[in-house]
Amino acid sequence: MFSLNNHLELRRVTISSLVTCIYLPSIVTVISYKGLLYSVGNASSLYVLVLIFIAELIKSFYLNSNNDLQVKKKASKSRVGDIVKSIVFLLGVKFCFFIGIILFGAPVLEYNEETLILSSLLTLLTLFPLIAHTGVELAVQLLFGVKTFPRDTIIAMLVNNALLTVCGAWLGAVVIPLDWNTPWQQWPIPCYLGAIGGYLLSNVLTVTKVTLMSAANKHPFLGIFVNMMNKLHISK
Amino acid sequence: MLHWVQHRWTSLWLLISALAALCLFLYGFFPLKYHSGKLASMDDLPNVINGVSIDGQEVYNSGENSVILMVIDGLRYDFATEEYMPFTGQLIKNKSACLYVSVAEPPTVTMPRIKSPDRKKEKAQWRRTINFWRDIFAMMTGSVSTFADVALNFGAPAVVGDSVLRVAAAKGRRTVMYGDDTWLRLFPGLWTESDGTTSFFVTDYTEVDKNVTRHLDRILTPDEKKKPPFDLLVLHYLGLDHIGHLEGARSPKIKPKLLEMDDVVKKIYKAMQTWERKGVLLLCGDHGMRDAGGHGGASPAELLVPLVVLTSDGFRCPHEAGAGGTVAQTDVAPSLAWLLGAPPPGDSAGRVLAALLPRDPRQHLYLLHVLAERNARLVPSTDKEFYKQFERAKVQFAHFLATGQQSAAKIAKEFYEESLEEMSKYLTETTTDFDMFALISATCILYLLAGALLCITLYSLQSEARRKISFPKLHRSKASSLIAFVVVLVISAFTLITACFITETKSQFCSFSPLWSIAFIAAAVTITVAYFIIKTTIENTKDLSILRDLNAIDYLLIIGTLFHSWSFFGTSFIEEEHMTWYFFWNTLMFFILVRTIVVVVMYFAKRWSGATEFQEKPHLENRMSSVGVSIVPQWVLLIALHRYLRTMNQTGDRWLFLPDTADWLNSPENSFYLEAHLVIGSLLTLAICLWNIRFMNNYMQIHSALTVLATACTLCHRIATNALVTPFPIIKTWDPVLIVNIFWGLLISQVIFELLTYIGLFKTCGFPLKGDNKFAYNKPKAKNEDYFYDQMEEPWNIDEVKLNLARSITHIMYNDLMLIIILLMKPHNVIMVPSIYFTCKLTSKCLDHKLLDARMRKGTEILDVLSKSLVHLWIGFLFYFYQGNSNSLASVELGAGYVGLREYSAARVAARVGLHAYAAPALAGAQLFCAAAARAHHWKGYLESVWRVINIFALQRVYQLVIYCLIAILFRHHLFVWTVFSPKLLYDFVATVFSVQALSTICVIVLLTHASSWMAKKLTYKSTL
Repeated sequence: MFSLNNHLELRRVTISSLVTCIYLPSIVTVISYKGLLYSVGNASSLYVLVLIFIAELIKSFYLNSNNDLQVKKKASKSRVGDIVKSIVFLLGVKFCFFIGIILFGAPVLEYNEETLILSSLLTLLTLFPLIAHTGVELAVQLLFGVKTFPRDTIIAMLVNNALLTVCGAWLGAVVIPLDWNTPWQQWPIPCYLGAIGGYLLSNVLTVTKVTLMSAANKHPFLGIFVNMMNKLHISK
Repeated sequence: MLHWVQHRWTSLWLLISALAALCLFLYGFFPLKYHSGKLASMDDLPNVINGVSIDGQEVYNSGENSVILMVIDGLRYDFATEEYMPFTGQLIKNKSACLYVSVAEPPTVTMPRIKSPDRKKEKAQWRRTINFWRDIFAMMTGSVSTFADVALNFGAPAVVGDSVLRVAAAKGRRTVMYGDDTWLRLFPGLWTESDGTTSFFVTDYTEVDKNVTRHLDRILTPDEKKKPPFDLLVLHYLGLDHIGHLEGARSPKIKPKLLEMDDVVKKIYKAMQTWERKGVLLLCGDHGMRDAGGHGGASPAELLVPLVVLTSDGFRCPHEAGAGGTVAQTDVAPSLAWLLGAPPPGDSAGRVLAALLPRDPRQHLYLLHVLAERNARLVPSTDKEFYKQFERAKVQFAHFLATGQQSAAKIAKEFYEESLEEMSKYLTETTTDFDMFALISATCILYLLAGALLCITLYSLQSEARRKISFPKLHRSKASSLIAFVVVLVISAFTLITACFITETKSQFCSFSPLWSIAFIAAAVTITVAYFIIKTTIENTKDLSILRDLNAIDYLLIIGTLFHSWSFFGTSFIEEEHMTWYFFWNTLMFFILVRTIVVVVMYFAKRWSGATEFQEKPHLENRMSSVGVSIVPQWVLLIALHRYLRTMNQTGDRWLFLPDTADWLNSPENSFYLEAHLVIGSLLTLAICLWNIRFMNNYMQIHSALTVLATACTLCHRIATNALVTPFPIIKTWDPVLIVNIFWGLLISQVIFELLTYIGLFKTCGFPLKGDNKFAYNKPKAKNEDYFYDQMEEPWNIDEVKLNLARSITHIMYNDLMLIIILLMKPHNVIMVPSIYFTCKLTSKCLDHKLLDARMRKGTEILDVLSKSLVHLWIGFLFYFYQGNSNSLASVELGAGYVGLREYSAARVAARVGLHAYAAPALAGAQLFCAAAARAHHWKGYLESVWRVINIFALQRVYQLVIYCLIAILFRHHLFVWTVFSPKLLYDFVATVFSVQALSTICVIVLLTHASSWMAKKLTYKSTL
């Protein structure tokens, strides 16, 4: 059914998604238990971003480990240059997110700190894993659809994660105008949580899909669900 | 029936019938008839009862009284007890005062605004006034108010009809008011003395009450004749309500506040003892409060308020200690009126409070009779049981007057009270009840119309070739289709009649009076027509494969438009409708941005990566050639522009009070920037107009001159009304009305000039004006002649010239519309007009299916029409809210109605206000029709695309109407039915009227083209041959 390489990759995808499904909810649970959930927009919650950053970094190490193709490329001397390039690129992306969020309606003169935190989170969840896995050039090509990618690969997972994260942040904004007068209808809490939710949802979907796929080996009727989920995935 | 479906203006007719159905719906929703506005006078009192004469004025006289109405905002029933108000509680306990439960009409009030800057204050005040209206209206006029009372005199929320204050003022009573200044706005000019306190600073709960109490010592001190210096004193205390809003009903601040109120009662009671004349104190709340604070719901804690009655002359409460009966708020009005010696207000339907009724049976019965007779007059039918009871009571009363039998008096009293109770119940029910039959039948008709329009739209989305194929083979004869029509008509009429009888409705719609019968038959005809249209289109729509070619942005547009109507199920989505549009629009801009970036990056990637691959994909080059690379920066600039425009006017409800750019611009120190906005907006509009002139006829110079002059007029008007500084002070002295009249003259002459050139009058009169002859008739090219010369009736290029004329008139319409709107707009909003143009232009460019779709397709014109119509609708709604409109009646800009008018003229003011409010949808729609005319290659194609656009516009309008009517029916008892749902319904009505108007303008343009073509044929065509 699967080729060996494909199988290995699938396993990595599953495990990294599973790890995400565990670590992100635990972070959210802990901060909400501490009563800090409504301060996620402030600079004081920078530690959340650091935690996510570390987790994503570890995940990307796992995804890249003994991946011959990537290792060969990265083994060259330009490794430091690559890292610098990625950091500059990520900062640029973060700034683009910042401008974009303001253009799409965030307050201009106030809440800049919160907007910055949100844009950092978005960068961290969307582009950072992609760049860590593929490098800057390939990431750009993937994003603009110049390069296509096959289904059920690490790259497909990462791109889907990125898309659903942005969608989640976008949909999070819906609740802000409602007249419920709850403390979490503050900028940027719904968008922040929406982004995390979208990322989580994407990972949950990946895990479910892989589970279904392996189950479909034994019970062919489950194949319908797999096909359904394949169609659900956003295709360029 | 197929020719109906294919007819170009069917959807316009359907939209007009939808408007009629909406009128029926509004009739059911806002019953207009109840408040006669009749003013009561003492001569109305009956002098003859069933043949026995009685001196009404003498018997009615209640003696000299001084009445104090003390309203404590938010006083709920359990507050008027010994625990909270010891003195009052004591009085009630030993029967020196009477306690009633008074029931407020739900919905009561929503939160007052916490704090509003000056400009917003007016709007917030208006909202508060509306809410406040119901309670005070009920207490002062004695009738339950309907939404129509509020909506029909918006702008000036004063009570127009009769009220206690009106009758008291007519009798020359001295009325004094201390407290909430809303009273002063509701009853302007009726107070002898007043001191209003603003109720907006909800954080303040001591000053508001001190402002009231500080007058008490003076006003309660009797003069030398031991009379107090007033007849009616109204005290309105706001502090309690403010505490409730801030901290809730369990707050520790409640008790001291109520003790303070108790002290006031004590003070008044003590003072009343020193007076020579009878003093009466009515202490009541206008609504209650929830435990959590706030009010506005229909829970007992909010609706039940105490009404305490005490008088100074050895008064004993006739009821059991503790609880008197339940009374309505409307009972306060006749009681007050009677105590003041004035007749009950014209529309009052209440009763005099039992505790106040005189002991003398003659006077007692007479009072009951007056009230019962008044109520009986308001009830239309005389065959009700309570009416008969009233007749019986009258007989007994007459008997008592003639003979003086006490038993007759007792029976009469009983009868009167029974009939009064029934009448009050009936009257309250009929004023607040909806005409469900009318509502439901109107909604059903709208539903059918929406179905018919959907079918027509889908039918029109087929390409022409496909439609020709689906033409039915068998031709039915005219007679048979006529018979079919009549049969279905009879069936639908019969169904309606049966529905009338089965539901046993009281609706006027089923009354079968001559006038209503017409409406009834019209409804049946509409149903029949809709049925036939649906049937025919379903039979003939064969090929909808075009819908498979929709791309992601089309889906976004369609789903967004569909979802928008359903979002109204949430009240905050109605109040904050602009948020929905902003969100949709942002999403759309984001999608387009991503798409365009992807296309551009792909283009460059392919181009630089190697020529071979590039040549393999020539369509990329095609896609890019129409827009160029600059589309991405342009689009980003557009996003920035929209970001700026969004901050221009805060709208909606929740964030209305926030300062916005318009506030900043309108402050005097920033007047330079305001003027810059105004001038840039006007000049850009002028540039756009001049750019559009290239679509007009061959005499460019004259059109340009007229346009420049018209723009100069608008600028002069601004200078003359002091909105703009000028180096030429002479302009300031010009008359603005004259300037506007010249402006109108210029616009009209432009249209007439265009038509005359078309007909060719100038040529025949010997003014050979030069130019590129767009309107000249030539022979068609030779190569056409050989194969279809014979079929053509006209050997001339009539169609081409027609298209040129339509193009030109459409652009003139658009230009004139823009110029009129910059004349009407507020200075800071003038910038919206060119913004709409640029948005429409750029969006239409980006939405091109050739550019966006990855795959190549042949016929994308129809899809382009679909997506462009929807996106222009969106742009219209979007700018409608950018401009500062909202779904509350408070945001109607009445100032625009008086531009260039010397005196009030209802029709002109209404047209201006309407055009100002709906400027953005009108401009976006006009721009769409302009683009359709400019893009069309031939006359047929133009008509075809106009047909599709009109179908889509009408469908969207009726779809939104039917969903909203459904929502209005479901939420008719909702708390916000007055403040949120009803205004939105009125807005929808106005929007429908304007859509009908807009679509018929297009219809008129096409007709004008045909007519001029005919005239041209008659006048000049022959001569040029």
